[in-house]
Amino acid sequence: MTDQTVKVSSKLEPSSEQQVASEQQASSETLVQIRGLYKKFNISGDFLDQLKFKGGKIVREQEFVHAINGVNLDIQKGEALCVVGESGCGKSTVARTVMGLITPTAGTISYRGERIDDLNDKQLLPYRKKMQMIFQNPYASLNPRMTIGQTLEEPVRLHNPDWSAQQVRDKVHEVMFSVGIDPSWGERFAHEFSGGQRQRISIARALAVDPEFIVADEPISALDVSIQAQVLNLLMDAQEKRNLTYLFITHDLAVVEHFGTRVAVMYLGTLCELATTKTLFAKPRHPYTQALMSAIPRLEDDRPPHIKLQGEVPTPVNLPSGCVFHGRCPYANERCKQEIPQLITTEEGGQVACHGVEEGRL
Amino acid sequence: MPLLEVKNLDVSFGLRSGEIKALRNINFTLERGERLGLVGESGAGKSVLGFSILNLIAKPGRISAGEIYFEGRNLAELSPEELRSVRGNRISMIFQDPMMTLNPVLTIGQQMIECLQAHRKINKDNARTIAVQKLKQVQIPSPETRIDQYPHELSGGMRQRVVIAIGLLMDPDIIIADEPTTALDVTIQAEIMELMVELCERNNVALILITHDLGVVSQVTQKALVMYAGRVIEQGPTREIINDAQHPYTQGLMNALPQMAIPGQRLNQIRGAMPGLQSIPTGCAFNPRCDYVVEACTKQLPGYTVSGNCQVACHMVADMKKAQQAPEEVSS
Repeated sequence: MTDQTVKVSSKLEPSSEQQVASEQQASSETLVQIRGLYKKFNISGDFLDQLKFKGGKIVREQEFVHAINGVNLDIQKGEALCVVGESGCGKSTVARTVMGLITPTAGTISYRGERIDDLNDKQLLPYRKKMQMIFQNPYASLNPRMTIGQTLEEPVRLHNPDWSAQQVRDKVHEVMFSVGIDPSWGERFAHEFSGGQRQRISIARALAVDPEFIVADEPISALDVSIQAQVLNLLMDAQEKRNLTYLFITHDLAVVEHFGTRVAVMYLGTLCELATTKTLFAKPRHPYTQALMSAIPRLEDDRPPHIKLQGEVPTPVNLPSGCVFHGRCPYANERCKQEIPQLITTEEGGQVACHGVEEGRL
Repeated sequence: MPLLEVKNLDVSFGLRSGEIKALRNINFTLERGERLGLVGESGAGKSVLGFSILNLIAKPGRISAGEIYFEGRNLAELSPEELRSVRGNRISMIFQDPMMTLNPVLTIGQQMIECLQAHRKINKDNARTIAVQKLKQVQIPSPETRIDQYPHELSGGMRQRVVIAIGLLMDPDIIIADEPTTALDVTIQAEIMELMVELCERNNVALILITHDLGVVSQVTQKALVMYAGRVIEQGPTREIINDAQHPYTQGLMNALPQMAIPGQRLNQIRGAMPGLQSIPTGCAFNPRCDYVVEACTKQLPGYTVSGNCQVACHMVADMKKAQQAPEEVSS
């Protein structure tokens, strides 16, 4: 265990060039700033479960899932930053950490330059009004025992305690109307709605307090294709009308290409590539991004062949040394196995964490 | 004679509130070695169709009309014993969630050997040899050791490979795969799909792929059936459907994909949602959501119009074809 703590703290010191790069990026427009974020989950159970009998002695052993390993990210005002990656890469953990639903193990999160990751619930309240979240499963994220009117009124009343009942009702009507749900349906319960409608209600709940920043964790992956398009359009409309900033978590690259301003590709808790959507789709640099993009099922007949990766995603319990991708990377060399690559800026303006790109091999 | 022929198939569910027709008048054929895709949104009836081929629909559902001919025998009329000799043997099925399909308390080997011994007189050692060989076919590394592991010791992609290996055990003629990669990541999905196509081609196995993903259908299948509210609304060669969809619903579905829109612009959405089976509109089930609707659409169930190599259930197909050929006239 001590060994791991040491490793974490040594990773924490950002290299000088990284610091310079991040400072250049941090313009006045930055809404959310994530610096050196780490999150590990203890999966070794309670104290008695941790005791193991080894070599004639009882020792205490702990295991950790290293969900996020040193992520630096700036979310600019008005953009839709998409985070993509396979399951288990830590993208949802990033979303939840930004929202303050999970406390990070190390690192800071700032909102408009003010640190929010160490605030208590009461201090967080004004930020909660500005940051809202939309969850993946609209069947689980709405309270089945509340009418949707009650569901939508609750956050409005909580964040605007001095409003009259009429003001609250007007606000709820307005957001319901804006997401295409008939305001007269407020008496109904969540089970009376279809999946697409429920997701609209979830979006309405997020919009009800007039936030400026929305974290959406796979908001459309539980929906059908024709409904996905409706919800995605709704999110884009809301962004235009309300000048929203999105942190959009998804595994679907086709959605990213359409929706995102910038894309962050994650693998095993680390950021491997960060670029504008146009740059990334025109010329992906990281070998993992290339493999991920070649795996999208396309309609066209003449698509380039799928790049096969060897092996499977390693578990985040025992992280590989060096570049976390080296075990599956066709271009890995000795350096990749030992040294953790830092994000470097490419000539296209994107950022990529790959020794191969840095050395000019790729 | 085609390998599988489904004729006028109706499946209904008897509920207290009355009988609901989950499938209405389904017709299609499948040749040996052919790969067929069943596409549609949730509730369209694609899974019910896949299950009904093996008569696997749970009560209160039943095949209320129609025939399913497989090698000259009508599967809809077979006794449970006769059906058992077909299931898993001549026609096998792969389900969506590999964790639910595999028995968690048996090793992979035990499950595979059990399946072999259920269908053939074979001793354990020989069955094990076949099992190892099938695991090798689905590219599981070191199958000799993997075979003694339990499902929870494998990753999701590996588990689905094991399920495919079990599906292939008896060298079936048809594999029905119900959303086999929906629970998996894109990179794993691409690998599994490639593997399935390769195995089907090598062993001359026909595949019925049930999916909601038009991209997967386009990549894997040769023929496709598009379903909506319990009916096939369009069927034909996959390439023709993808490149030149005739039915307004298929067109809408295709245009709703993010890859079909200009980045940053709004997606082309289909308004509304698919009706529940209790409240299917009269006439064409798609008419409340359709942009080309005319009076006939709300009154009369459209028959199948042949257009190219496709069959389309739409009143307006002939007119739309004309409009496509002379777009200027329409705009004026």
